[in-house]
Parts: sequence; C-alpha cells; structure tokens
Amino acid sequence: MNAQLAPDLGAPLRVLFIDDEARITRALKVLFRDYEVYTCNDPREAPRLARDHDVDVVVCDQRMPEMTGTECLAEIRQLAPRAMRLLLTGFSDLKAVLGSVNEGEVFRFVNKPWDNRELRELVATAGAIAREAPAMPIEPISAAEHEEARNAVGVLVIEDDPQVQQRLREILQPYYQVRFAASADRAMQILEQHETGVVISETEVEHGDLTGMLKTLKQYHPHIATVVCTERANAQTAIDLINDGQVYRMLIKPVRMGSCRLSVDAAIGRYWQLKKTPAAVRRFTVVRSANDGAVPVRVNESLLARIRQLPSRLVSIARFTTIF
Amino acid sequence: MSLVPAILLTLLGMSLGALLGRRLFGAAPDPGVRAQLEAAQAELKTQAASQAQVMHTTKLASLGQMVAGVAHEINTPLGFVKSNVEVVGDLMNEHEQAVRTLLQAVDLVASADASRADAARAALVRARAALAGGTGLEDARGLLSDSLEGIQTIANLVLNLKGFARVDRDGMDLVDLNDSVRSALTVAAHQLRDRVKVVTQFGDLPKVRCMPSQLNQVFLNLVTNAAQSIAERGTITVITRATPENVEVSIGDTGCGIPEEALPRIFDPFFTTKAVGEGTGLGLSIVHKIVKAHNGTIHVKTATGRGTTFTIALPVSSKTAAPAPLSGKVAA
Repeated sequence: MNAQLAPDLGAPLRVLFIDDEARITRALKVLFRDYEVYTCNDPREAPRLARDHDVDVVVCDQRMPEMTGTECLAEIRQLAPRAMRLLLTGFSDLKAVLGSVNEGEVFRFVNKPWDNRELRELVATAGAIAREAPAMPIEPISAAEHEEARNAVGVLVIEDDPQVQQRLREILQPYYQVRFAASADRAMQILEQHETGVVISETEVEHGDLTGMLKTLKQYHPHIATVVCTERANAQTAIDLINDGQVYRMLIKPVRMGSCRLSVDAAIGRYWQLKKTPAAVRRFTVVRSANDGAVPVRVNESLLARIRQLPSRLVSIARFTTIF
Repeated sequence: MSLVPAILLTLLGMSLGALLGRRLFGAAPDPGVRAQLEAAQAELKTQAASQAQVMHTTKLASLGQMVAGVAHEINTPLGFVKSNVEVVGDLMNEHEQAVRTLLQAVDLVASADASRADAARAALVRARAALAGGTGLEDARGLLSDSLEGIQTIANLVLNLKGFARVDRDGMDLVDLNDSVRSALTVAAHQLRDRVKVVTQFGDLPKVRCMPSQLNQVFLNLVTNAAQSIAERGTITVITRATPENVEVSIGDTGCGIPEEALPRIFDPFFTTKAVGEGTGLGLSIVHKIVKAHNGTIHVKTATGRGTTFTIALPVSSKTAAPAPLSGKVAA
C-alpha cells in the first residue's frame, strides 16, 4: 500500500470528507490515514471547514438531509476555490448529476461502493493539481474583457437538427461568432481554422456518437469549454462526460434562451480566464493519473491525429499532457 | 394487489354475461343474438385484459421503485464495509511489520557485542516507540465494529424487502401493522432520505388478520403520495394506535394538500392531479379497494398548502370476514 501513497509534495494533502453517515467518514479517515483528514457529517459546516483548513480536496456525498452535495460543493467553490471537488454517491439521478456539473463544477463523480485503490489515486491526482495549479478566479471577467473575448474567440455548434441549429443561431448569433457543424469531420475543419473557445454539442448526430470526440478533444485541448446540449439525457452518459470529458455545462433540450446564454457566457469567460492563467488548465484535465496515462476513448485514428494536431493557442500548456 | 379494479371489472363482465346468457339462451338460443353476445364478451375480455396490463405495469413500476430504493440503501453500508475490510487487512500488515521490526531489534540487542550495543538499544527504543504510538489496532477495531453494524443494516434491509414482497408466503396472516409500516418506509426511503423527515409514533398494536402484502402496498402508496406532495422539504408523520375495535394508522404530510374540487374523486381509478406520465391515477384507488376488502375505513383530512393526513382503521376482531383473494391470473 505504501507504494501508492501521496506524491511527494512536502506536507501531506489536506482532504475534507463530507457525508451524513459517520461510518462512511470514519472509513475514509482511516483509508486516508497518511493524509491530513477532516471529516464532517453536517454539510452546512463544510464550506467553513474547507476554507479554514485550506483543504486541497473535498469529497462529498450527494444525498444528505440538510443539503445536497451539489449545493454544498457550489458553496465550497465560492469559499475555497483552490480545493478540487469530488462527488461520491450511491444514487445518481439525472438532476443531481446535472447540478454537479452546472453548479458544483465537480472534477469527478465517484460511485458508491467505491474502489479503495481508485479513490486513493483520484484523490492523490486531484490533490497534486490543487497544489500545483492556481485556482480559477471566482469573479466573472469584466464586461470589457468579455467583449474582447467574444471578438477574438469563436463558438462552435455541433448539431444536425436544423430546427435546433436555427434556435441556437437566434440565441447566439447576435453576441458570438457562431459556426455550425453537423458532423465530427466538419467540426474538426472549423477547429483547425478558427480559434474556438466553446464547443456546444449534442451527444449524438446522424453520423454517429460524439461523446468519444468530445472526450478526446478535452484530453488534448482541455482549455476549450464544452457545453453539451442534448435530448438523450441519462445519468450515466452525463457522469462519463464529467469524468472522461470534463464537460463544462450540460443543458437538456429544448434549448432555453436564458440558460443557454448564461452557459455560453460563462464558458467564454472560463476560456478567457484560462488564456490568462494557463497553468490553471490542469484543473480541467481528464488525464486520470500517472498510471493510466490517457483516457481510453474510442475514436478512429485519423480523427485522433487531427485532434492532436489542432493548433494549441495557449502556448504554455502545449505540452501539458507530459506533466504527469 | 394492484389488480383489484381489473378483477372487479372482469367479475362484473362475467356475471353480466352469465346473467344475460342464461336468460337469452334459456328462452331462445338465436344464433344472431349468440354471436352478438360472444362479440360483447370478447370485447369485455379485451378491455379487462388491457386494464390488467395497466395494473400489471403499475405493479412492476412499484417493484422497480422498491428495487431502486433498496439498492441505494444498501450501497451506503456496502461502501464502508467493503472499504473497511480492505483497510483492516492493510492495518494488520502494518502492525505485523511493526512487531517484526521490534522482534528483530530485540534479537539484535541480545546478540550485539559491546561495540554495537548502543546502536542496537537505540533501534529497540525506536521500534518500541513506533509500535506503542501506532493506532492501527484501535482503528481496525473501530472499522470492524462499524462493519458489523453495516452488515446488520444490510441484513435488516433484506429482511424488510422479504417482508414487503412476501415472497415466502401469500394470503391471510396475523400481522403487526407496525412491521408493515416499517417495511413500507424502508422501501420508500430513497424518496425521502435527503429532503423529507419521517416522524413515527408507533403504539402497541394487537395483531390484525389481513393480507400483509396488500397492506404493505397500501402504506407504500400513501407514503409515496405524501412524499410527492412535498415539493421541497417537509415532514411525514406516521402514527399507529389501537382503539377498542380498530387498529389505526395515520400518515400525514406537510405537502401541498388536495384541492377541494379534487377531493370527491381521489379514490376514482385513473384520476390524477399529476402531469401525464407521472402518475397512473391508480395509487389511491388501489388503497381504497384494499382497505374496503379488509372491512376497514379510510379518512382524509386536507388543507391546501398545509398538508394531508390519511387515516386507515382496520377492525381487530377475528370475526372479520376474509377479504376475497385479489391477486388473480396476471399476478407476477
């Protein structure tokens, strides 16, 4: 067991476990006995604890009587932005998963019963990132910066339903440089030719499944924010898109003007912030750990090659995949 | 249990058919009338079959709900028990290693010559301190005791599940309704856990002669309705008590209440206030049929925006006529 213990980062990682079931937090406390562990059985106290102890990683249960894990992590994001957030849950309904993406902005979603070795590796990876990568600013970028970003950076929509295309055009065209692609192939052409900060995508089009491409894109270009907009929503696909694709927002069709604008605004803002703080991009990486190197995703070789060769606009992260 | 209206309909259809048939065939067995009659009977059968299909689907849905609920309830104890067993193994290895180091240090002191005696003694002191300062055994003991509790929780869940589904037996039994209510609450737990507080006040109850699998369904339906009536957070209060003649179970919620105009129709089959696809409108009609079949009564008190309380009273008397067997052909 000692061989897999914390990476050498000086002081042991500080981890906060939140679960209303004390036997869960006791189990985790001993499992992570080589770390500085804080546990909490009342999520209302968790954000303050996370801030006061400046923890590196937070692992939170979803279903608790006082508040949901999603709500709790959203508060922790504000109070302790440096901490990497993981959700640990025995029951994943779609609403909870969507909330964990859109409000909690979680790093990973872990199912109960968990695997000790995987959980330890995940927490170690998350902790290393929290220590090395700067926190993202909590404040959104200024209006002036936003305008600058909108002029410099494009939004790519991958969608083959003409009605949805039209709807998104109405919502987004007045504000952004929007480009449309109905297939993965066309999407790649646009990504090759234009600086693209946000990809809005279905999970599936006529020509096939898109989640593989979204995950691979994220693996090599984690600074691009993906907004998945789908009618084929199920909890497991959503969890995979978080864990392997670090999806930034998930919207359920029909597309609503308000939530769509908000999501794309936030996504552009995040791309812009990352452009200014490129080291923070590690927080959105989908490379799981030193051991498994790359996420096993099925995309064909030529698509993989094209994704790899996309111009990387954030120079300092060009070689980020080798950091691990 | 969810077959009541279907069965009644079938019975109604069959007795009507029999009645008509006797009269018509007795008088004049006209082939034209006979064909019409057969067509009508076939029509009734088709209707009954499609009704039975709905009932069956409803029953499967409640079974699915039960499985999902119990799976979730089991995942939590399973999570820590599994982790604990692995970690206790690691702790044993660590402790074993510490003991081995100490023994080696003891051997070293015993065999060391004068020039190495100080170093050997220092190693012994270090090994002793490491062993004495370790909390591994204490941690392991805590984890094992939690695990035992966790396994007990899982065992209770399985027992409840068996009690709820009554897979081992069906039919009439003498039942403590507190057990029925408990198993219904367990099955509904995943709908309640993170947002609805459950308060129970269980009285001492004489056993009631009833069909437990049907009454479990009654309580599950009422608890599910109560949970669904609570939009965000709220409380469900379950009170059981014995009166001289009856055993009473009341299930109250702090939910949205039932609008006055809907009140007269709540026990009608297929009446629902929920959105299409969310409710079948069968839950309360099933409750009503089952309670009636047990010679019981059901009362509802409601205030819009404040909540609803259903109170069920079942007679204690052993003279209670046995309810007609309700689960018929399509029962799973």
